[in-house]
Amino acid sequence: MSPDSHTVEGFARVVRIDAGVAWLEPEQTGGCGSCASAASCGAGSGSPGIGSVANRIAARRFPLDNPHGLMVGERVVIGVDERSLLKASLTAYAIPLVTALTAGGITEGMFGSDLVTMAAMASGLGLGLLAARIAARQLARRGDLAPRFLRRAGGSRGFDATICETMRSSESPAPSATTCRPQRVTP
Amino acid sequence: MKDFALMMIGAALVNNVILARFLGLCSFMGVTTRIDTAAGMGLATTFVITVSSMADWAVQHYLLDAYGLGFLRTVTFILVIASAVQFTEMTIKKVSPSLFQMLGIYLPLITTNCAVLGVALLLVEGRMSFIGATLFAFASSLGYSLVMIIFAGLRERLALAQVPRLFAGPPIGFIVASLLAMAFMGFSGISTG
Repeated sequence: MSPDSHTVEGFARVVRIDAGVAWLEPEQTGGCGSCASAASCGAGSGSPGIGSVANRIAARRFPLDNPHGLMVGERVVIGVDERSLLKASLTAYAIPLVTALTAGGITEGMFGSDLVTMAAMASGLGLGLLAARIAARQLARRGDLAPRFLRRAGGSRGFDATICETMRSSESPAPSATTCRPQRVTP
Repeated sequence: MKDFALMMIGAALVNNVILARFLGLCSFMGVTTRIDTAAGMGLATTFVITVSSMADWAVQHYLLDAYGLGFLRTVTFILVIASAVQFTEMTIKKVSPSLFQMLGIYLPLITTNCAVLGVALLLVEGRMSFIGATLFAFASSLGYSLVMIIFAGLRERLALAQVPRLFAGPPIGFIVASLLAMAFMGFSGISTG
């Protein structure tokens, strides 16, 4: 169970540190990239190239304040509010659709022509996207869309050595998964 | 207006994309472990299905029908859907990078969702007007989202239930899905009654 039941958790890896800001790359945890055939179809997280999952994830890097002293290669658990995800989805998808359908409905009632309706719906979609942009800025200004650091996770690559252990605790997000606990090796 | 309303109810509930036409089953089983992710996927799919159906209708009427290229329909629609997904991804990224970081993970999965292609092909069979086709696609995708959210809610409850070991996980998921499909069969009374 997550510490806060209204938080959606995800794993990310620190890929860069810039003056108090850590750049994180989200991990692909489900869907196409995690399929058993991912390596052979090009969707595997390690496969390079345009349109690959690796490329898409690289494009989704995001900054996070680093008061916790995160290091490059560390895995962390990040979280966003459950409502934020719904708000973001509604902003990005529902606003443009509603404006497009409204514009199409009104135009169809007035002119009854497919071509005019098509043009009106395209314009409505464009206006809706502009409205979504404004709404998304307001959400971002309030900090609703920013993921926050929850805790460090196992599986770091930035340390001299790792000791792996199988965690079967009910507190673990993936009870049967093998995770690695980072430990420094002192010379 | 009444015709459109009946058509939309029929598309969303009576001939539900998932439970009656058996399309989009991959995401139905794969992305329904939590309500919020199911809602995110449902809304993203609704957007893509509606936008790609608008484009598919235009391509069908002004290109494939006009030049007698009907045999290229499936290939063309796949191309249009992939383009619509790319368009959506680029637009969301441009509209708000924060939104893209939060929602971008669902978009690549939609390209391979057969519900998108299935709805586009149903539109062609239906011989509808542009607004009719768009509303049909919108209603079908709303039905898809509705079932995704209901199923995600059921699975969240199932995660807390004591399920016999042999049935735990996907098996009980499929059993619940079949019960949900039977429940949705009740809506077929709307068309006959």
